[in-house]
Amino acid sequence: MANPVTAVPEARPLLDEAAVRELSQRLGENEALLERRLEALRVFADTALPDRVQHLWRYSDPSRLLPSAILGAAGPAAAAEVPELPEGGAVILLRAGAPPLVRLSDAAEKMGLRVAALELDGDAADRLGTTVPAAHGFFEALNGAAWSAGLSLEVPPKARLEGPIRIVVPAAAGSSIPRLLVRIGELAEATVVEEHAGGTEESYVTSVTEIEAGPGAHVRHMLLQSWGAGVAGHLTTRARLDRDADLATIVVSFGGSRVKMDLGAVLDGPGARSELVGFVLGHDRQHMDHHTVHSHRSGRTWSNIDFKVALTGYARSAYTGVIRIDEEAGATEAYQENRNLLLSETCRADTIPELEILTDDVQCTHGATVAPLDEEMVFYLESRGIPREQAERLIVRGFLEKTLSRVPEAVRPQVVEVVEERLSHFLGGHR
Amino acid sequence: MSSTPVFSCRNVHVFVEDKEIVRGVDLDISAGEKHALMGPNGSGKSTLAAALMGHPGYRLEGEIYLDGVPVSEMSPDERARRGMFLSFQYPVAVPGVSVANFLRAALSARRGEDVPVREFREILTNAFSLLDIPKSFMGRYLNDGFSGGEKKRLEILQMLVLQPTFALLDETDSGLDIDALKVVSEGINRASGDDVGVLLVTHYQRILNYIRPDRVHVFMKGRVVRSGGAELATELEERGYDWLEPELEPVAGR
Repeated sequence: MANPVTAVPEARPLLDEAAVRELSQRLGENEALLERRLEALRVFADTALPDRVQHLWRYSDPSRLLPSAILGAAGPAAAAEVPELPEGGAVILLRAGAPPLVRLSDAAEKMGLRVAALELDGDAADRLGTTVPAAHGFFEALNGAAWSAGLSLEVPPKARLEGPIRIVVPAAAGSSIPRLLVRIGELAEATVVEEHAGGTEESYVTSVTEIEAGPGAHVRHMLLQSWGAGVAGHLTTRARLDRDADLATIVVSFGGSRVKMDLGAVLDGPGARSELVGFVLGHDRQHMDHHTVHSHRSGRTWSNIDFKVALTGYARSAYTGVIRIDEEAGATEAYQENRNLLLSETCRADTIPELEILTDDVQCTHGATVAPLDEEMVFYLESRGIPREQAERLIVRGFLEKTLSRVPEAVRPQVVEVVEERLSHFLGGHR
Repeated sequence: MSSTPVFSCRNVHVFVEDKEIVRGVDLDISAGEKHALMGPNGSGKSTLAAALMGHPGYRLEGEIYLDGVPVSEMSPDERARRGMFLSFQYPVAVPGVSVANFLRAALSARRGEDVPVREFREILTNAFSLLDIPKSFMGRYLNDGFSGGEKKRLEILQMLVLQPTFALLDETDSGLDIDALKVVSEGINRASGDDVGVLLVTHYQRILNYIRPDRVHVFMKGRVVRSGGAELATELEERGYDWLEPELEPVAGR
């Protein structure tokens, strides 16, 4: 056993071995899981708070995403309502300090959907951290050592679930550290809707989601971030796709005050496909920082990213997108587009697309635009009698439409409602 | 025929930044009349058309009247709701906004009230069939990925649906093959009843074989240099524009 690990650098919240052991014991997890925590803690102790000169942290101050206390300060579990059970699917409420609340439809039960508290999943330790290791970064190491609301989800091979699996993760007062481990078996098909909601000024969320998609699996992963004003959050998701696996990620991010996301997929088998579509809406003084990675490790793989940002007020957004193609990953196609719509003169968007391509045998394009509303579009609609404000709303709604149409039906009404509500504030304040 | 023209303009000058593109235009178009404004490329025809509609990129001096009401201080959408219509030379694509949703918003705005669903569907069905546009276009995004000809058809379909009292048609004939030109012309004729005035802006005489103009104005270097009857268009077709070049003194275009 290594020496007790204590990580107390300046300006870093206290997280020591005793606290981690206490957490592990409280959750009743096995020795293997505790060992994973301690490994992550050692990495955490050796990892400095990200330096702002690192390009992924150029746009956000990591110290503002950190709670003052990581453990023991979580308030009582948020008394969130369990959302409606989607037809043919499942719903899970994942809160710190309480076991997950789970409701399965008959269909979900029949096809063998397995849902467990992560701490009680005896086999989880073998898989935990394989897609997002502690070495991924500061916040991921923190999560690996201190996650306190864990979920293990498994769709058995060849199972096909009609309805979505909704996972609702409310932000508690204080620090929330959710960890989701999702496995979609060979040739299985499932839609997973991960909803981060709630929270206030005092809420800090550090979440990690790992998705393993087996050979030929079809996965739709919706990530819906609708935190309350004031929330500071860091979300990391990674999917690892086996051969011929097909992943569609839909990201909608509009809540919180300081938000950073690191989203991506590793295409780890020939024939794997990953598509990510998403939009960010920023208003007031929201700070939104989204990063995507498509990492092609195998040949004959395909990826596409269509990421949109619409800002108003004093909102700020940064988008960084990386396409990485290994030397062995020939016959690969990878595309990436980021479009930013500035709806006020006081908002700001940065966009940095990056390519790291180590083979010639690829088709790859990337593009980025940052622009205000197109006045020619506005004039065209006005020339048909449509008043300017309505014309603007139509154009912005149109900008988001293609992505909206991809949002799973179970959550589409709530997403549309927010979009409409935001649009009603976009009223012509920026001529 | 009413004594007040559906459209007039007086001493209209149009500037792009400090450059004067249109240098004094007067026109009167009465209900039931079709006028053609013909001129070579670069004469400022399209600038005039866009400026009359209120394009924010142009500064217009002079006065414009719709049914005798001065409108040059009004926003483009107000002008449109008062019955003015511009068929764009290059219609703008608006991705994500379906043709049907757009038409519905436009027609409701024009009428000042929501259009009942059933009536709207009927209007659309008729207009789409008249202009020979597949109904599937209703669900497509406005002008997004449309061919040049499809865009022009959709412009005239909008004219049919919105029923303007004064229509400015900017190079509606360009980019149309002969069959499409016939269909579009028929749409224009259908939409221009006795209470509608039309100003056809065009480089070529071709479309005038299908739409007989009551008056033809030759527009060069920002001015109307000659006005006449339909025969003037034929003369232009035969002789081109050069012979009018010296006549750069403005001629009243009424």
